[in-house]
Amino acid sequence: MKKPMTRTVTMTGALALGLVLAGCSDTGSSATGATGGGGKATVTFWGWAPGYEDAVKAFNDGHPDIQVTYQQVQPGAKGGYQKLLNAVQAGNAPCLAQLGYETLPSFAAQGALQDVARYATAAKDEFQQAAWKAVSLGDAVYGAPVDTGPMALFYNKELFDSLGLKPPATWEEYRTAAEKIHASDPDRYISSPYMDYDYAGLAWQAGAGWFGVDGDSWKVTLNSEANKKVADYWQGLIGKGLISGAPMYDQAWYGGLGDGGIATVVGAVWQAGVIKSGAKDGSGKWAVAPMPQWSAGEAKAGNAGGSSTAVLKGCKTPEAAWKFAHWMSTDRDAYGTLVDKAALYPAAKALLDLPQLTADDPYFGGQKIYKVFAEESAKVDTGWTWGPIMTKTTADLNDGLGRAWAGKGTITDALRAAQEKTVAELNGQGLKVSG
Amino acid sequence: MTGLTTVTATAPGPRAVPRHGEGSGAPPRWRTPLLFCGPFAVLFLAMYVAPIVYAAVSSLFAVRRSGLGLAPPVKVFDPLGNYVQALGDKAFVASLGRVALFGVVQVPVMLVLALGLALLIDSRSARGKGLFRLAGFLPYAVPGVSAALVWSFMYSPQSSPVNHLLRPLGLGIPFFDDGTVLWSVANIVTWSWTGYNMIIIYAALQSIPAEVLEAARMDGASALRIAWNIKIPAVRGAIVLTAVFSIIGSAQLFNEPTVLQPISGGAVPSTFTPIMSAQAAVAAGNYPYAAAQSVILAVLVGAVSLAFFTLTGRRAKA
Repeated sequence: MKKPMTRTVTMTGALALGLVLAGCSDTGSSATGATGGGGKATVTFWGWAPGYEDAVKAFNDGHPDIQVTYQQVQPGAKGGYQKLLNAVQAGNAPCLAQLGYETLPSFAAQGALQDVARYATAAKDEFQQAAWKAVSLGDAVYGAPVDTGPMALFYNKELFDSLGLKPPATWEEYRTAAEKIHASDPDRYISSPYMDYDYAGLAWQAGAGWFGVDGDSWKVTLNSEANKKVADYWQGLIGKGLISGAPMYDQAWYGGLGDGGIATVVGAVWQAGVIKSGAKDGSGKWAVAPMPQWSAGEAKAGNAGGSSTAVLKGCKTPEAAWKFAHWMSTDRDAYGTLVDKAALYPAAKALLDLPQLTADDPYFGGQKIYKVFAEESAKVDTGWTWGPIMTKTTADLNDGLGRAWAGKGTITDALRAAQEKTVAELNGQGLKVSG
Repeated sequence: MTGLTTVTATAPGPRAVPRHGEGSGAPPRWRTPLLFCGPFAVLFLAMYVAPIVYAAVSSLFAVRRSGLGLAPPVKVFDPLGNYVQALGDKAFVASLGRVALFGVVQVPVMLVLALGLALLIDSRSARGKGLFRLAGFLPYAVPGVSAALVWSFMYSPQSSPVNHLLRPLGLGIPFFDDGTVLWSVANIVTWSWTGYNMIIIYAALQSIPAEVLEAARMDGASALRIAWNIKIPAVRGAIVLTAVFSIIGSAQLFNEPTVLQPISGGAVPSTFTPIMSAQAAVAAGNYPYAAAQSVILAVLVGAVSLAFFTLTGRRAKA
């Protein structure tokens, strides 16, 4: 009994040691992205969007002087960002990373990004203004914008038609539709709860900003009057029991999208990809309409998500990194694949006429859904600002939002708590907060 | 795994080793043990001691930024700042209280179950020992996160088969009420770890000399009496060991509540346990504060484990 045990222990030890050494050598080569022996610049890229791997492959085939290595990581909010920050902290981060616009300022504030304005500024006019604003702070540019997330209303047209409902043009009509749908069957709900950045999109449309910059201090406005208006509206729907308990992206949510249990999703363009792949039963039933308005006749849309390919601190080959990032955001063939695979909506102006963006989509009953999003895109307010510790802010917000959507506490309470905790953390770190 | 090694290693005793060393020449005397200890020592220092020292040192610094904070933050030496903040942080203190309550209730329940199962399998009249041993141990083989995912399906108000069956009777278990959610987590942990502890205790039961048991039996002791007066005192060391492992495990609670968080309707906040709280601090870019929380947790766990050892050790002597 004893002997085999000892042997196992030593073997495990040796194995672990081997892993440690492998780990070291791995970080040594991939992290810094130094120029290889043959004068070939190497760039490591961490991301998670479907289709990125294909883009990397296509780039490598066409660019013998640069070798991009793609590594898939967990989606940002599910641990990817944490992993990235830890890697930067440890000094072995990749050169490039997929980074949501909402998180980019937080990364910049932690000194995790590298300014590539030298190479990038010339490309400024190739991108939509709001997207460019999202990757640059002052004169610094931290990466290439990839996509934007204009929002619209995904709705189960089959269900709406069967109840004689039209896609609601205002939030008032949306409430009426919610009541009719729930009255037709107690297991049917207008929508699932919205958390963090999906909820932010709803606030964005209403002009209810969360952060602002005033000189050299931050303004935190999560509990502003404008935000209360949005909160109270959804609180009303919760109070009447019109919102499903199924969390978004949960199996129960996909089930509801497929079988009519959840009738709408107020979501960004990339939700089309999520819905299509997650709720196969909904094929042919769903359609897309403009986002409901706060007052009839208005034309405002929110934005949720949208991401960049950002250059991280410690990258030894920033020029090559930028070259790839720019290429992936602007190459017609590569981006076409991204539209197909991830329903990304391009940030580059020249790509807005891609054939993939004018195609009929059988899942959405043959509708040209990107036409709707192109119109919504023009209605998005470009003045939105993200705060410097978004991961923390949204975690605190979600604590309260989860309770509110479950009927415990209110959305207003959630916003107030997130406001207080954010201000306390900012003050604690020595940042200036005004108002 | 550590448990198994420790328990079995204590049984035969290390008597054979030094004699072997004396027999050979002078140099191997120190070289051989060194060679054997080397890999352990290197890994122990690099993977265990170094991170602890790193965390302890970094907890003495405070993150300071200025203005909008768009320049990289600087770290300022402020040895007590993070500790004062942590002890005044209601969410963190509440998380400590939560895992303490969890440990006080869940650890005894689980160990009584594990001991009971081990005694049942060990009893002379038990059939299919191998099968039950395996069946009991199997949940431990399921990775913690996967187990939590399966349980989240069992608990979720939308999919819970338990509540689906209870619904016609007008009943339902509120798995995610503020008062019950900790016990929903405890249930998963108990399911996962009872079998593991059972195996440790069962292994210890195997080392009880057969003649002692036989003598008791010939004296007419019943199976229950033997279990109570002979077996349980004999495996006392194993029970103390599993208890300490479980106390440490409770303090480090993370996987299960984290998996349940998105479907819990806010019942599991982002600071539910001390480690989740430290993670939240990391999310805010405040590594030193996370380090301070970790150090506080480690010190408390060390103190509780030490107190537990002292207490159980003293009672054994008395």
